[in-house]
Amino acid sequence: MSFDPVAFSLWPAVLVWLQVVGVSLALALVVGFGGAVASHGFRGFGVAFGEIVAGFRDLFSLSLGRIYALAKLTFLEAIRRKALLVFVVFAILFMFAGWFITDTGQKAALQVKVHVIFVTWTLSTLSLVVVMLLACWGIPEDIRVRSIHTVVTKPARRLEIVLGRILGFSGIATVVLAVMASVGYVWLNRQVPPESQSELTCRRPIYGAISFLDRTGDPAKFGINVGDTWMFRSYIEGSSKARAIWNFPGVSASSLDADENLQLESRFQAFRSHKGTMDRQLLYRFEFVNPEKELRVPYKLMEVAEFIGSTETVPRKIRPDGGVKEYDLINDLVDSKGNLQVEVSCVDPGQYLGMARPDLFIRTPDAPFLAGYFKSVVGIWLMLLLVVILGVSASTFVKGPVATLLTFCIVVIGQVFRELLDKVAKGTQEGGGLFESIYRLIAHMNPTTPVPDGLATQVMKTVDRGLENLLWVFRQILPDFSYFNMAPYIANGFDVPFDAAVLPSIVVVMAYFIPCVIIAYYSLRLRELEAK
Amino acid sequence: MSAETSEPVIQVNNLSKVYRDFWGRKKVRAVNSLTLDVKKGEVFGLLGPNGSGKTTTIKMLLGLLFPTEGEIKILGQNASDVRKNERIGYLPEESYLYRFLNADETLDFYGRLFNLPAKVRKQRTDELLSLVKVEHARRRQLKEYSKGMTRRIGLAQALINDPDLILLDEPTSGLDPLGNRDMKDLILKLKGMGKTILMCSHLLADVQDVCDRIAILYGGELKVLGRVDELLKQKGATQITAPTLTPEAIAEVEAVLKKHGVNQVQVDNPRSDLEDLFLRTVQESREHPGRRIAP
Ligand SMILES: Nc1ncnc2c1ncn2[C@@H]1O[C@H](COP(=O)(O)OP(=O)(O)OP(=O)(O)O)[C@@H](O)[C@H]1O
Ligand SMILES: [Mg+2]
Repeated sequence: MSFDPVAFSLWPAVLVWLQVVGVSLALALVVGFGGAVASHGFRGFGVAFGEIVAGFRDLFSLSLGRIYALAKLTFLEAIRRKALLVFVVFAILFMFAGWFITDTGQKAALQVKVHVIFVTWTLSTLSLVVVMLLACWGIPEDIRVRSIHTVVTKPARRLEIVLGRILGFSGIATVVLAVMASVGYVWLNRQVPPESQSELTCRRPIYGAISFLDRTGDPAKFGINVGDTWMFRSYIEGSSKARAIWNFPGVSASSLDADENLQLESRFQAFRSHKGTMDRQLLYRFEFVNPEKELRVPYKLMEVAEFIGSTETVPRKIRPDGGVKEYDLINDLVDSKGNLQVEVSCVDPGQYLGMARPDLFIRTPDAPFLAGYFKSVVGIWLMLLLVVILGVSASTFVKGPVATLLTFCIVVIGQVFRELLDKVAKGTQEGGGLFESIYRLIAHMNPTTPVPDGLATQVMKTVDRGLENLLWVFRQILPDFSYFNMAPYIANGFDVPFDAAVLPSIVVVMAYFIPCVIIAYYSLRLRELEAK
Repeated sequence: MSAETSEPVIQVNNLSKVYRDFWGRKKVRAVNSLTLDVKKGEVFGLLGPNGSGKTTTIKMLLGLLFPTEGEIKILGQNASDVRKNERIGYLPEESYLYRFLNADETLDFYGRLFNLPAKVRKQRTDELLSLVKVEHARRRQLKEYSKGMTRRIGLAQALINDPDLILLDEPTSGLDPLGNRDMKDLILKLKGMGKTILMCSHLLADVQDVCDRIAILYGGELKVLGRVDELLKQKGATQITAPTLTPEAIAEVEAVLKKHGVNQVQVDNPRSDLEDLFLRTVQESREHPGRRIAP
């Protein structure tokens, strides 16, 4: 498992949002007033101001009844136009998929993973396509056949049209997803072979903060790099003072299982610098530490279970190495703030044990698989909402095909190319920006050799930095779709964390809702609803 | 109360509309410096050949199109102000309705846009469906409707809010003779209820029957504006209408007129006068572009 869920911090995100939205609004105002003055002369000020006042008036005279009517219209339209044929495609996919992806020869965790990924992928892809097409074509069709003329000549505000459309398409998204997700759930439970069903579960981990001690016992930020290009794990040396120290917050009696044991699940890697003892794996040891009471309680020696991971059932009462003193895990070893400190050391001299933050966690009692599955479906649902919001907004100023393309690009960039965009925008991508990499291509230069100095290089780099800034702006504006993908959690047998996945997804949707609705409202308001 | 003295419901001042293409290039000047007003309680007819800017004018009144120049006050508000719509009913040129809804759902939907309570919506739907005579098809989707039936639903839709001002763009197009008759009766009935009606139509006989005042547009310009009865009363001429006379009788009448110094007497069968006016207006406008004909 390679993901490292980090709790989402709400307030910094809100601050960034306020900055971005504030700057955009200011820009929009400048452009709006400028445009109005350019086209109406001095009177333009009044016109632009009037539009803003009208916007607020429409906002405060919103009618739920009208929004509901428009949402219902949208909903009926999709259903009567047979948009729900998607279910047929879905059913066919599921009927045949079983033949290809069920392979009882694999280990349980992998079987579960394959099935879960298939179901969530199918769910999100099919519903995404349907919802995106519907949302992007609704308003343009309405304008093309001019049925919108009968709506806007009623007291329906353009804001209500936008909101009604968004609500209606969201309703469709909900129905489509709910039906497909239910089928998917039943299918999963029937299709995953019985002997692997135990992996259809939701671990609820408590992750800690990790820190290291180097071989001399001094604090260090990381352990040793054994030459992996992937720097995710770092290593501690066996039989030295090197330690990996986890600090688990919020540990209490409720973190124990029904038999009052603490489940510590680990996925350590071993790196051998010599053969060592061949008939067993590397040995390691936990030590429970309570700095407040200056207690150090060593736990028994254990063997590393590479690639599979192991779950150690630590009893609440620990009697170290056959001593007489007995310690209570919760009362003695957890400090007054509810933190439990666990130090890991490797025992075999000259061997190394690799670990990263999520490689050791307290496994509190599992939740049923359905709980995690539901949350990941909520994740897909939130993504669909965002797609609806983006699609409807796009369709207020461009026609159906263009709106679809635009929304599709935003989804793809937000999902697939975000990492690349990040690197290029920060200038950390090897080989430089656009022009530098083109130069390198032509000059057959590999990405790590420095470009020769000179005026041309200076110019090239300056232009690239300008482009980087532009990309940075894009990065700030385009939504991050990665949060919505919660499948990796449940595919690996984990519950979906609220703070690292569900919360940011909700926040992303909210963050785009407000500016998109403003854009959509004004673009419907400021244009003639005439098919051109 | 005579129409002239009452307050204007629609005031249009120097209104122009230029259609532009995507790049902002000028395509057509559909309405040119139009000034007119429609008074409370009158039936106003907007006439003109195809493409003379009638629909464009109506759309500007409703805020569907933005004027290139000029001002509009409608029910005392700006054309772009959505609040005016509370008291307006609009029948578009073609029935731009939602074809996947049935008649009941259609009227219910438009009723909701006025925030009418469910009971009122139900009651109005029943009333209007029987008024426009499509009750028998109320549960069928509009895509199965014939042209005239759709037109009737369009009219019902325009009346759902019991509007004070009704804009009808070719209300009789697609209607059968009976429907045509009903439409005329309905317009007169609505007028009797004190509503103001602005309509455009190509059926001049009907316009002559129902309209108090008319305007004739040609090429986006106002050519004729006035009360129907006055416009048809030719200046410098007196019309005597009698059942068909025998040649002897005509000769006698001519002799009497001669005695009073009238030498030019025109004798023929009567024809629709508005048709005459209309054709004359179009003809003259074609010959003398830019000239206002009456008044
Ligand atoms: N959306 C549009 N884009 C460009 N030109 C338009 C558009 N709508 C109308 N026009 C042009 O504006 C002029 C007036 O059109 P309008 O529809 O107002 O005529 P009308 O008087 O309603 O005609 P009809 O009796 O045929 O309904 C015409 O020349 C027409 O080609
Ligand atoms: Mg027309």
